[in-house]
Amino acid sequence: MKGSFMTVKIVTDSLSDITSDVADELGLSVVPVYVRFGEEVFRDRIEITTDQFYHRLTHDNIWPTTTQPTPNDFLTVYNKLADETDEILVVTLSRKLSGTYESALHAKGMVEKNCRIEVIDSQLVVMGLGLVVIKAAKAASNGASLDELVDLVHKAMPRSHSIMSFDTLKYLARGGRIGKAQGLLGSLISINPILTLKDGEVTPLTRVRSRAAGMDYLCNYVADISKIEGLAVEHATTPDEAGKLIERLSPVFPEGKIYLSTVSPVIGTYVGPHVLSISVLDGE
Amino acid sequence: MKQIDCLTGQDLREMFTAATSWLEKSVQDIDALNVFPVPDGDTGTNMLLTMRSCVDEAYRAPDHSTSAVAQAMARGALMGARGNSGVILSQIWNGFARGLADKESFAGSDLAVALKQASVMAYKGISNPVEGTVLTVVREAAAAAQEQVNKGGTDIISVFEATVNAAAESVANTPSLLPVLREAGVVDAGGQGLFTILEGALRYLKGEVDQMQFRRPQIIVSNISSGARLPQALIADEEPFGYCTEFLVKGKRLKPEKIRARLEKKGESLIVVGDDTTVRVHVHTLEPGGIIKYATSLGTVHQVSIRNMDEQYQDYMELQKERTPAGDIAIVAIVAGDRLADVFRSLGATAIISGGQTMNPSTKDMLSAVDSVVSDKVIILPNNKNIVATANQVQSVTKKTIEVVPTVTIPQGVAALLAFDYEADLEVNAGLMNKARAQVRSIEITKAVRSTKLGELNIKKRQPIGFLDGDMVAVGDTIITVIGQVLDRLDLSKAEVITIYYGADAQPAETEQVSKSILERNPQIQVEIVRGGQPHYHYIISVE
Repeated sequence: MKGSFMTVKIVTDSLSDITSDVADELGLSVVPVYVRFGEEVFRDRIEITTDQFYHRLTHDNIWPTTTQPTPNDFLTVYNKLADETDEILVVTLSRKLSGTYESALHAKGMVEKNCRIEVIDSQLVVMGLGLVVIKAAKAASNGASLDELVDLVHKAMPRSHSIMSFDTLKYLARGGRIGKAQGLLGSLISINPILTLKDGEVTPLTRVRSRAAGMDYLCNYVADISKIEGLAVEHATTPDEAGKLIERLSPVFPEGKIYLSTVSPVIGTYVGPHVLSISVLDGE
Repeated sequence: MKQIDCLTGQDLREMFTAATSWLEKSVQDIDALNVFPVPDGDTGTNMLLTMRSCVDEAYRAPDHSTSAVAQAMARGALMGARGNSGVILSQIWNGFARGLADKESFAGSDLAVALKQASVMAYKGISNPVEGTVLTVVREAAAAAQEQVNKGGTDIISVFEATVNAAAESVANTPSLLPVLREAGVVDAGGQGLFTILEGALRYLKGEVDQMQFRRPQIIVSNISSGARLPQALIADEEPFGYCTEFLVKGKRLKPEKIRARLEKKGESLIVVGDDTTVRVHVHTLEPGGIIKYATSLGTVHQVSIRNMDEQYQDYMELQKERTPAGDIAIVAIVAGDRLADVFRSLGATAIISGGQTMNPSTKDMLSAVDSVVSDKVIILPNNKNIVATANQVQSVTKKTIEVVPTVTIPQGVAALLAFDYEADLEVNAGLMNKARAQVRSIEITKAVRSTKLGELNIKKRQPIGFLDGDMVAVGDTIITVIGQVLDRLDLSKAEVITIYYGADAQPAETEQVSKSILERNPQIQVEIVRGGQPHYHYIISVE
């Protein structure tokens, strides 16, 4: 059979925050990262739920760490998919945040079946990555070729933005520095930092004084975008607030679906249990 | 907790290979700290290059014994040493290897001995050791290792942990030992580099390899208060730095001591290290030619490097420019009170001018602050109504681009500072900050200096009086009642955060009472108490 008759399969990692029902619906393969508390290791969202993760983050004294999937984890997925297709697109989170990209790339060389695999470092994370992957999955099911999908992802990447607001620097300080967010540490009055991802790195955007002001900032950010193609709201342990955000954002994006998800552990270890995040894919 | 009693040569090279990668992530940060002996911004790079050569050589060791690997690492460090810090680092490795001589494997106690040797050798290579540098850090770290062993610590991780913790403390303390660091508001770059290497090795030992992949080493922040001056202001009038001259001499019966004595008066920052067959020389001199000529008379000369430090310094200033906390925009704030100044600094103000009510700074004071910052674009926050006009004058006397955000109170200044957008340009930021300034309400409480009548208000001398956004609106018998009166004028239903900055004259018990009275009236509001230490105003309160 010729490749052009087969649907390209899309693979991403669990830090895309794509929920399992969305993944199932779109036929996406999500490779879980590992979350580790001391000697205990869990596969993200398979062996530990997001709720459990944040509960332990706030209640345990052990500092959790996340580990990239092994090349073998990717290989297993590639081999399985290679039975159904001869083209696979893998889109991973920013390699500045994790070695997942390297694992995905490494596994590519280990596949023995005749299957073309392209691996892209999205320079994104959370639903900023999720929205791009969802877009690619939809295009794939409409028959886009692997080359077209690679092009589509590269073009969508710079249009995808994630903004996070949270209320304590405690976790950020405990985890050492991430990117340029170091500048936020050591503030002598309490602040709610607003972070974004720039060039694949966590970068401070500004600071506000209260949670409410943080939510306002997120809403205003979205409202200022002239054309929205995709929108997602995420929380860690505060679904009510996420619900409120969706309510406030619906008038800005009346025609589309606002995805609701939870912030992945790799970011969660830094921003803590009260993070609120929005991801926007700007329209072309 | 993981425990390790004994490590091999294999472990030694692997932990320092990991440490080198760890250091690599921090190179630019360490470069930017570099102000001593010459602010040429290359300490991190030099230490990294030295470490690379060190671990490369480790893999060429004849066998896996600790002593063979350590010796190879010392040799690698010596051969690849670059710069002042690199040469001292190579000397540290030299001592470390001596301390581990004849060891097949090593335990916590051996580590302490090796670190002690490292410290001794580090001092030995230098003609005029200066404290508050990597020398102090290695010495104090080694002492802590020994102390841990004396306490009965046999586990290598516990010994190493004590070493790393002591190194961190030692680095944090460098500004108190070396004035140039204090003035620049940085810790010693070489000390920071050594700490980062040790910390990286420790993390590796503790099995934190995965975390190391996406974290970066932390630059130690000193709690010793500093001037907010940047190096530019420090050395503007000084003499040229000359040339950083480095080379390796190979020969027979070389005498490092003799070479050192001979070069002593030829320049600054002289370091001569090595043995009778290989000697590395590092010196800052105005006349490199004569020194090289002398070296060729001793044996064959290798890896000659002569770098113009004045040029490096210029590059360094460019680097500083990029690293200014607020991108390429500097923020100068006029603030009275040490603690309030710290609040402003912690939020990203680049320079602070001491001033406020009854102490208005001059245009000249502001100009020198504007000149002292590296950026060409400066935002001024006057934080007082009487200072705005002076701030507006600054543009006419400087070539830099100035934006004055006319904040008339401290809360307005804080609100403006917080609204700073790291990604936006000067104009956009001035707009954002102006908008934020207008959204905060400011209450100031002081005591009347004399009796007077103002509008409806009859004021007796020493009576508490309250200002709202700079206008006097309340007088009463106690501070609490005055604050109550001012708050009554505000619609607090939309307020989210109230911050109380208590002044030098405020009593802690009274501050508690103020906070309680606000919370009782408005339980939904988040109240934060911050020591402002400001003169004149007992309380400055922001309502956001």
